[in-house]
Amino acid sequence: MADTAPKKKKIRVPKVVNGIETMVEIEVDDTGGPAWGPNDQHTLLNHRLTRVDGPVKVSGAAVYSYDVRLPGMLYGRILRSPHAHARVKKIDDSAARRIPGVHAIATVQGLRARERPDKAAGADASAKAARGKQPELPPHEVRYEGEPIAAVAAISPEIADDAIHALRADFEVLPHAVTADAAIKPDAPKVLGEGNLEEKEKKGELDKVEAALKQCDAIVEAEYRTQTIHHTCLETHGIVVDYRGRDAATVYASTQGTFTIPPDAAKALDLDESRITAIVEHMGGGFGAKWGIGMEGKLGCELSRQAKAPVKMMLARHDEFVTAGNRSGSWQKLKAGVAKDGTLVAVQARQYRLGGIGAGSQAGQPYVYSAVSSYREVYSLHTNVDSSRAMRAPGHPQASFAIESLMDELAYKIGMDPVQFRKKNLKDAAYHRQLDRGAKEIGWDRRNKVPGEGAGPLKRGIGCGVGTWGGGGRPQCKVTVTIARDGAVNVSVGTQDLGTGTRTYTRAIVAEELGLKIADVREHIGNSKLGAANGSGGSTTAASLSPAVKDAAVNARVEMASKLAQVLQAKPEEVSFRGGEVTAGGKSLRWKQACAALPATGISAHGEWKPGLSDNGVHGATFAEVEVDIETGHVRPIKIVHVQDVGLPLNRLAIESQLNGGIIQSLGMALWEGRVMDERLGVMVNPSFNDYKLPGTLEIPEIVALIDDADTRQAVIGVGEPALIPTVGAVANAVFNASGVRVRELPITPDKILMGLQPQGGTT
Amino acid sequence: MADDKDRGKGNPSLRNPGRRRFLKGVGAVGAGAALVDKLALPGEGLAEAANPNAVPAGAKLKIALEINGQKRQATVESRTTLLSAMRDHLEPAVSGPKLVCDHGTCGACTVLLDGKPVYSCLVLALDASTKKITTVEGLGSADKLSVVQQAFVEKDALMCGFCTPGFVMSVTACLNANPNATVDQVRAACQGNFCRCGTYPKIFEAAMAAKGTQHAWMQTIENAVKGT
Repeated sequence: MADTAPKKKKIRVPKVVNGIETMVEIEVDDTGGPAWGPNDQHTLLNHRLTRVDGPVKVSGAAVYSYDVRLPGMLYGRILRSPHAHARVKKIDDSAARRIPGVHAIATVQGLRARERPDKAAGADASAKAARGKQPELPPHEVRYEGEPIAAVAAISPEIADDAIHALRADFEVLPHAVTADAAIKPDAPKVLGEGNLEEKEKKGELDKVEAALKQCDAIVEAEYRTQTIHHTCLETHGIVVDYRGRDAATVYASTQGTFTIPPDAAKALDLDESRITAIVEHMGGGFGAKWGIGMEGKLGCELSRQAKAPVKMMLARHDEFVTAGNRSGSWQKLKAGVAKDGTLVAVQARQYRLGGIGAGSQAGQPYVYSAVSSYREVYSLHTNVDSSRAMRAPGHPQASFAIESLMDELAYKIGMDPVQFRKKNLKDAAYHRQLDRGAKEIGWDRRNKVPGEGAGPLKRGIGCGVGTWGGGGRPQCKVTVTIARDGAVNVSVGTQDLGTGTRTYTRAIVAEELGLKIADVREHIGNSKLGAANGSGGSTTAASLSPAVKDAAVNARVEMASKLAQVLQAKPEEVSFRGGEVTAGGKSLRWKQACAALPATGISAHGEWKPGLSDNGVHGATFAEVEVDIETGHVRPIKIVHVQDVGLPLNRLAIESQLNGGIIQSLGMALWEGRVMDERLGVMVNPSFNDYKLPGTLEIPEIVALIDDADTRQAVIGVGEPALIPTVGAVANAVFNASGVRVRELPITPDKILMGLQPQGGTT
Repeated sequence: MADDKDRGKGNPSLRNPGRRRFLKGVGAVGAGAALVDKLALPGEGLAEAANPNAVPAGAKLKIALEINGQKRQATVESRTTLLSAMRDHLEPAVSGPKLVCDHGTCGACTVLLDGKPVYSCLVLALDASTKKITTVEGLGSADKLSVVQQAFVEKDALMCGFCTPGFVMSVTACLNANPNATVDQVRAACQGNFCRCGTYPKIFEAAMAAKGTQHAWMQTIENAVKGT
């Protein structure tokens, strides 16, 4: 070993907080570490691996948080505000308390009172507390319909429902604004105390852009709106808290971050963080919305504290719609100009993020495109609606829909092939390659040369779009690989599997390194007592975790080689692991024989993230073919082609599924989904699967999800999110190509098509 | 909310329960108050139910359910759904069927009732007590998967897996009824199931891979059940 300190280098890596990604600079050792090797040389990785948790999931044996049932467990239910803006004057729980089987009732106001001493830690507050005289808390002010105000715990779900109905809450109802158009009015009720408009970003030189626009050969100025989308995880948010009044608790949580649970639960239960064990064995979908224990978890813990009994607090479906987050809507006013040769000369954007009481998210315009000059102003426009949360590629599909529509409008205006026009204004060669491949796959030449041409009421058209994502990794996982003398190989880390295939690649990396089959390795995840791991946001899990797994597996292999070198009468570096055998110097041992020669303690190796094993930044291109019925306005997606680079594909089958999933959620955004608010009542009018239109089996088109193997980076990049981004714009452009109707507000429903087909129409 | 038609036909003591007993059965005082509003029918029993102190905690009813060939006992209320009975009232629970929407829209709670797929969140436990119930656990186990279950694994027809038990049941029922079902028939059979992860294309693939051999698998299950 060299006695000098290792050389350091600075690299940029993604940091994710609550699913929202920002890039930060960190310093890492600049030394050669383990490497994956060429992407086409793997024995397990980059193959089609069936998921290791498949058998328990298809047979009903997988235990999700919602399935946990403990002795003496109570069922929690939430009482939500029916008003978009109100003060809670009083909650009368006397009737509810008389219901046999009701064991505890908690209010949000009560939680606030409990939390207050911590919040006001100043001497003044503690002096007042000591005198037993706290100033009265201001009443709980709810700012959206559905905001939790109280909760109950009872011996059955049915009785908990009864108790919720028996609670009587009195409100002082206050004025609200639940739509962007209402909230932006100068005299609109103030959502967050100050004005409803919050400036987020101003970038570029307005003067230059305005001057440049005057020189352009063609200009398009348009407004684009995207709706609020719900995550609609099939397993709702929630926890089962196993706490019986002693000094430790176990919390089963439906979460994207095993390690986001203990700090929250410790605070809610007044325990040390080290006394909390979070369990996330399986979880039923997150899509960006599940971090920490949330208000439902706080109330669940409080109920458990009061009752000294375990409490299952899983949100009901209606709760999930109105108080468990959403993808922020957007309102984007764009103006852009081009030169005759297709050069994007200038883009001017005014972007509103519609995140309810939250900030919302929206990528800055002109998104992935290069304009000679650009200027944007970005605002959060607040409304009395539940806060948006991260949702699968937060902010990107909104921006992508608007800019891809705009690019399409510009291309048609100057009579240029939309693919060629995009290539002209995309610098990265990956997009060019992917657009060419996608165009070939879908048959781009079949598109209408004149939008809406063709006989008959059923008109087909093709459109395209592109998108980008990060998906990089950073040092935040600690992995242990053990090899026992009986041949058992175990890999442990506290991470979680959202359905992305984390368990499968974790096993596969270790199995490949040791020359074993996937079935020879067992993975242990979803437990906060295991090695640290990051939450699954920003597609950073694979890129953060897999390098640490690889590092641990390499360390285990090296240690085993050194232990077996003597037995095999060879040098450690000559020992190879292949096909279930350990081989050196012409001698071979079967795996179990080799393990039997290990010391009694076996091998225990650790691993951490190493630079060089992961990368950041992916590209994707989507082509959509749709059929528009110009008599009914109905849009039917026919075929989607998506080309995605991924670096080293850990598991081609799982990646294909992730791409399909992103595409289908994007189709939902393009054509069917959307929260509908009643401005007068201030409530969501479609908080159920009956009325919130999700993509179902009858709507799914032919989907061709292609991994772009021309990307030969020997590094892992997460791709859970990017396929969701460009499909939405591609579909809108296909609708235009098919029907000649440009719909600038999502979802593209039949009414908008029919309006656009009116003689005076053409756009909506 | 529970309605009072066709209730308890499998249990003689529960036939013709009458409004008074129904309200008692529904039980708890909060529900009493809530239900009085909803029923909105003046008449016997209402005064009693509306008086919070007069109604005993929801009358408990012992019922027998035949689940996956096993006779199981559960204590439920008259309003308890089959889904809740399996998940919350049976000991040990049958938790393969998932509670997702509780409104008969998502299909995650799908079970076979006398061989026909139903939403178990829309069936009262009492009404299921005379019928044969098959859940996803009854088709095969993790180490001995049914043909459909195996096809789901091989085609990667699941991601988070929460909708999966429902889809496995719907595809199984579809192929039982029509061993040579087309993709369009599978789509139609599963139109009452939602998957948010977006596994639909793989589910269609799995169904096509399983068709033909699924029927034989169900025969072996039925024979095994008969044998016990």
